[in-house]
Amino acid sequence: MMLIAGTVPIRDFPLTMGRAVLEGEDLVVEGRRIPCAQGTGAMISAALAAVDYLKLEAPQVLVAGDIGQGKGTREIYEYLIQKVGDISPQVMVLHYCLPVMALMRRLCESVQGCPRKVLMIADAGSMYAAKAAGLAQRFDIFTPDATEMAFLADPDATHPAYVARHLFDADTGRTPELVAAAYEHENAARLLLVKGATDYVVDGGDIVATVDEPDVPALEAVGGTGDTITGLVAAFVYAGLEPHEAAIVAARSNRMAGKFAQATPATRVREIIGQFHAVFKEYLCQWSGVCYTAGGQQ
Amino acid sequence: MAFLRRKKPSFEGGGLVLFEDVQDAMTAEKVLKEADYAVKLVAPPPELRKGCDLALEVNLVEQPGIERALKEKDAAYVGVAPLRVGTSQLLEIVKATDFGGQVMVKAGNMKLSFDKESGAIVNVSGGGCPDIPYLHSELVDKKLSEAPRPRDIGFTLCALMLDRALEECLVLWQGGGQR
Repeated sequence: MMLIAGTVPIRDFPLTMGRAVLEGEDLVVEGRRIPCAQGTGAMISAALAAVDYLKLEAPQVLVAGDIGQGKGTREIYEYLIQKVGDISPQVMVLHYCLPVMALMRRLCESVQGCPRKVLMIADAGSMYAAKAAGLAQRFDIFTPDATEMAFLADPDATHPAYVARHLFDADTGRTPELVAAAYEHENAARLLLVKGATDYVVDGGDIVATVDEPDVPALEAVGGTGDTITGLVAAFVYAGLEPHEAAIVAARSNRMAGKFAQATPATRVREIIGQFHAVFKEYLCQWSGVCYTAGGQQ
Repeated sequence: MAFLRRKKPSFEGGGLVLFEDVQDAMTAEKVLKEADYAVKLVAPPPELRKGCDLALEVNLVEQPGIERALKEKDAAYVGVAPLRVGTSQLLEIVKATDFGGQVMVKAGNMKLSFDKESGAIVNVSGGGCPDIPYLHSELVDKKLSEAPRPRDIGFTLCALMLDRALEECLVLWQGGGQR
């Protein structure tokens, strides 16, 4: 089972766990609607698009309302700390949450007690918490953008807003240097997918691939397009691809969906997500070797 | 026989609120606890000492919400600083990218894009704190001059950086002769 956990920007949205389905422009979990917009909603939607295409089981999602005060974050983490051993997901994705180091530390301890290996993916606030607490190496995949890569490279930073100036540079040309620093200080997951003008896939400190085509610069402005990459990586790993393969296919798929949508800075992320099936149909077999015919998987 | 004591959940905040005197620190502790923030009275390291030798450890990520809560209750404090010595100051770097019809302004890890003709906010991207998707929904489609300020309705450092991006967008927009 794949489990996706993160907050949603709706005050008083109760802690809810269940399977998400797409209905119109919204996600619905246990009868409650979540907008398919920047954040956990975009990530879940992208993962759903991929597992739906691959005819896999839809992810379980664990969500709670939080508009920045941490209430939903604490509910999600406390639930997982208590229950992750029983849930024992194959893949667990932690997403938008208030970065609280102590909660992340307790959750990682609980995960260690799971009866089988949990493939751990973190992005957004959960990645910030994992790094700040010195727990990055407990994770299999991080999906930082170029700015967040500078945060991972800075051993003293506890949030991307407090990164040493000499490390902060939006130019992804510096990514290899930042990647090296992050691994040196043990502040990187085993695999990094660094999102930027050029996407870098880094396995154990080695840059194993870069993706820069198609070039759709406007995607950087579209809120949620980093979240969709994380959702795709999770789905492809869950489908059985190796993490580095999943990262490469996710990066290519996201760019191609942006191209298909003719993205501008005013594009909404749901327009990008709406293109994934067309992208998979045209390219997934060629990129991943996962090929479908009308009768099913080949 | 050994007694087993349940360990209290540890608190790791990463930030310090600094004060002129002990009374201010005690007052601030009460204010922030009432506002449901996790805080702990600690001694600041000498290099961060700006007034008294009592400080409040807080979650640095929550800096904007904490400062707003203190100001609302007129609780005096000197400033908020990262706990780790050597940690740099809040990022001040702001960059703008012109896409033709829209401009994207990046402040730290946050990006805000607006339409050059109408001044409407068309997108918010970046960040990872839970107030950012909320701010996205509150800001997008509003005019720059009429949108709520992230520093007023957000709670985290991501919101603070987004506010800086909005401030720069306003300068660019109004500098272009628009109101």
